Amino acid sequence: MKLYEYPKLGEQAYRETLPNGLSVVVVPRPGFTRKMAYFVTDFGSIHREFQLEGERFCVPAGIAHYLEHKMFDLPGRDVSAELAELGANVNAFTSYDMTAYYFSCTEQFDKCLDLLLEFVSVPYFTAESVEKERGIIDQEIGMNADAPDSRVFEMLMEGMYCHHEIRVPILGTSESIREITPEYLELCHKAFYNPANMILCVVGDVEPETVSCIASARLGDALRPMGEKLPHKDEPMACVEHLRQARMEVAMPTFQMGFKCEPIGVGEAAIRQEIVGDLAAEALFGESSELYLRLYEQGDIDSSFGGGFETVDGCALLTCGGDSERAEAVRDAVLAQAAKLAEQGIEEKAFLRMKRSALGRRIRDLDSFDSTCFRMCAYHFSQFDYFDFPRVYESVTVEEVQEFLRTVAQPERCALSVIAPIGGN
Amino acid sequence: MIQVIELLPGVTLRCFPAERFKQGCLSLQFLRPMTPSEAALNALIPAILLRGTREYPDLRSITLHLDDLYGASVGTLVRRVGDYQTMGFYCGFIEDKYALTGDRVLEPMIDFVGELLLHPALESGVFCREFVQSEKRNLITTIEAERNDKRAYAASQLLRKLCSGDSFGVPRLGEREWVEAITPETAWEHYCRVLEESPVEIFYVGSAAPETVAARLKAIFMQMERNPIALPAQTAFQGGEVGDFTECMEVAQGKLSMGFVTPITNRDEDFAAMQVMNTLFGAGMTSKLFMQVREKRSLCYSIGSGYYGSKGIMTVSAGIDFDKEPLVREEILRQLQACRDGEITPEELTAAKEAILSGLRGVYDSPGSIEGYETTAAIGGLRLTVEQYRKAVEQVTAQQVADAAKTLTLRTSYFVKGVEA
Repeated sequence: MKLYEYPKLGEQAYRETLPNGLSVVVVPRPGFTRKMAYFVTDFGSIHREFQLEGERFCVPAGIAHYLEHKMFDLPGRDVSAELAELGANVNAFTSYDMTAYYFSCTEQFDKCLDLLLEFVSVPYFTAESVEKERGIIDQEIGMNADAPDSRVFEMLMEGMYCHHEIRVPILGTSESIREITPEYLELCHKAFYNPANMILCVVGDVEPETVSCIASARLGDALRPMGEKLPHKDEPMACVEHLRQARMEVAMPTFQMGFKCEPIGVGEAAIRQEIVGDLAAEALFGESSELYLRLYEQGDIDSSFGGGFETVDGCALLTCGGDSERAEAVRDAVLAQAAKLAEQGIEEKAFLRMKRSALGRRIRDLDSFDSTCFRMCAYHFSQFDYFDFPRVYESVTVEEVQEFLRTVAQPERCALSVIAPIGGN
Repeated sequence: MIQVIELLPGVTLRCFPAERFKQGCLSLQFLRPMTPSEAALNALIPAILLRGTREYPDLRSITLHLDDLYGASVGTLVRRVGDYQTMGFYCGFIEDKYALTGDRVLEPMIDFVGELLLHPALESGVFCREFVQSEKRNLITTIEAERNDKRAYAASQLLRKLCSGDSFGVPRLGEREWVEAITPETAWEHYCRVLEESPVEIFYVGSAAPETVAARLKAIFMQMERNPIALPAQTAFQGGEVGDFTECMEVAQGKLSMGFVTPITNRDEDFAAMQVMNTLFGAGMTSKLFMQVREKRSLCYSIGSGYYGSKGIMTVSAGIDFDKEPLVREEILRQLQACRDGEITPEELTAAKEAILSGLRGVYDSPGSIEGYETTAAIGGLRLTVEQYRKAVEQVTAQQVADAAKTLTLRTSYFVKGVEA
C-alpha cells in the first residue's frame, strides 16, 4: 500500500486500489485500542434508475434500505451473533446516496473484518426472510412517521424538489416496500455491491497490508460489470412549494427551511464549493452570527437551532431549523440577512476568524473514528482526499462566500416546512 | 494513570495526561443533591452563566471569543449521577500544537471558565432578568420536547412513577412548574450558595502538565469564599408506585416501558454479574429480547433494556403495535424467566461479556469517554477502575447471571398507546 503523509494534521493514510476495483484506505492510529472499519457502497435511496449490462431498470422506493437490512443474512448463520461473540459492535445505515456497513472492535480485528466483507458481499435472500423483513421495516416507517425531526425534513424535501429522488423518504413508503422482491434485491446487489463501486476504510492500530490482503482474499480479483446510474433530470432552482405544514403530537412547533443550491459535482472544485457553502451558513446563521444572536435574544429560536450546507449526489442545499413559535418570521429574517450580507459584504477579519473556527472544529473531529471513517468514504465518492481539507480552507476567499450568498439566498429558492402541535393555533 | 490533585478543600482536579488526541477536554462540575427544590435551578444556572459575563457581555461576544480559540466549545453540563445532580461546563478545544505557531488555546480556555464562574453579567446585583427569562423558556422547551420522543417520554414517565419515593423520580432537568417559579433573585441566591458550599469535581484530558492546569485553576477558586459541605452518601432504591399505567396520545406506534428493581448496585460485589445479565437479557443485537421478541417473533420494532447501577433499577422499553401489548409483556417476562432458570448458552454469555468488555477497552480512546467514565465513577461511588471492572466482567459465570436475574422484580409499567377511534 502507498503511504501518504499529512503533517499539518498529524495524520497518515495508506491507500490502494485492488485489482477488483475496491479502494482501500487505512488510517493508522498507534496507541489506540479501538479499531473501526467502514465498508461502503456508492448506492443510496436516490439511485432507483440505472442500467446494468445494457438493460434499464427502475427499482421500488426504499430498496437500498431494505437491502441493508437483508445483507445481515447468511445461509444458516447469524452474522450479528458471530460478530458480537468476537466483541465487535456492528451496524449499518442507508443515506440518500450511500449505504455503509461498519463495526468497531478492540480485539480479533482480522476475523471481524473478514466477516464484514463476507456478509456484505454474499447475497442471500429467501422469499420467506424477505417477507418477514417487510413487517419490521413497516414498523420502522411507522416509527419515522411519529418522529417530528425526520418528518419536517422530508416535508421540506417534498416542497423543494420537483424531480430529484430526495423527495422520497429513504425508507420508502408502506406501499412502495410491498413491491420489493428477492429478485429486485439481487439485482441491486449485483449492480452496486461491486468492489469497484465500494470503499473499505479502516481507522486504528492495524497492519495496513493485512487489511488489503484480507479484502483481496475475500472478494477475489475479478472485475465485474457494474450498474450505471442514470443522469439526474434537470432540476429547476425554484422550489415547488414554498411552505408546507402539518400537525403532529409535538410540544412545540418545529421547522426546517432550505435554499436550493446548484449541485456541487466532484473533485476539488466540489469540495471547495462545499467549504464555501459551510462558511456561508456560518456567516448567515451560525452561532456567532449577528442573526443568531438577535433571533435567540428575541426568543424566536433556541439552542435547538442549527444548520449547514448539505450535499447529496445531484443536489445541494443550505438548510437550517429547530423549534420555534415563529418559523415564518425566522425565515423572513434569514432572507433579509442574506440580502444584507450579499450587499454589504462580510468583514475580512470576521471571515478569517470564521475560517479558523471551522478548521479547528474539523481537526478536533478527527478524534472521532466514526466521523473520520464516514468522511473518508463520503469524500472518496466525491473524488477528493479528505485529509487535504486544510489546504482548501486556506485558499477560500470572502468574495466566494459573498457570491454564493448572492446566488443562493433568493426567495424563489427558499422553502419552509413546519410541524405544529395538534390542537395548537 | 490519573493524577488526583486537591486544589483546595472540596475542589478536586483529576488529570489524565494524553498526547494522542487532537483535542483536550476540561469539565467542571459542582455537586448537588438531586431534589425537587433545586433540580430546575441547577439545570438553569449554567445556561444563564453562558449568556454573558463582565468581559463578554452577550452571547455573540462569547461565541466570537470561542471562534478565536479555534472553534472551542463550551457546553452546559447537567448530569444525574445516582442521588446527585451535577452542574457545570464541558469544554472541548484543539490541542495547542495544532494551532498556528505561538497561539495558545488551553490557558485562555481555563481563564474563560473562570470568567464564566466569577464574573457573570449582573443587573441590580442579581442575574440579568432578560437572560433568566429566555433561558427559562429554553429549559421549558427542552423539558417539553421530551414528549416528541415517545420512547424517552414513556421511559421518563415510568421513572417518575417507579421512583416517586426516590431521588431517581426527580426528572434530571426538573419539571416545568419548578422552572416557571424561578426569579433572577432566587437563581442568584442559589448560585451563591452553590459556589460557597458545593464540592467541585474538575477533569482534564490533554497534553499539558497537570501542575500547569492546577495552578491556573487554583487561581480561580482562590477568589471565591468557600465553605464546602460534603454530600450524603449514595443510597439504593427506595420504593415508589407499583402498578401498570396507560396513557393515550396521537401516535402511530405504542411505547411500552417496564421497570424492575434489584438490590444490586454498582457498589456491590455482584455489580458485574448484573451488568452482564442486563446485556444478555436486553442490550444489543444479540440479547434475548432483541433475538426472541423482535427477530424471531416480530412482535416489536425496537426493544432494549437498561440498568441503572447507581440505583439498582432495570428498565425495558419497546416500540410496538397497540394490540400487541399483552403479548409483548408476556414475552419479555418469559425471557426474564429463562435467564432466571439459567437458560443461557455459552454464546450468549460470551457475546454479552464481549459487548461490555469491548466498551471498557475503548474507554481510553477518546477524551469524552475518559471524562465520562472517570468522573461518573468518582462521583457515583463506582470503586472499580476500568481494569478491575474488566477483570470482574471476565469472571462472571452463567450461574451468577441467573442469580442476578432472580433478584429482579417487576414493580411498575407505563404504556403510551394511540387514541382509540
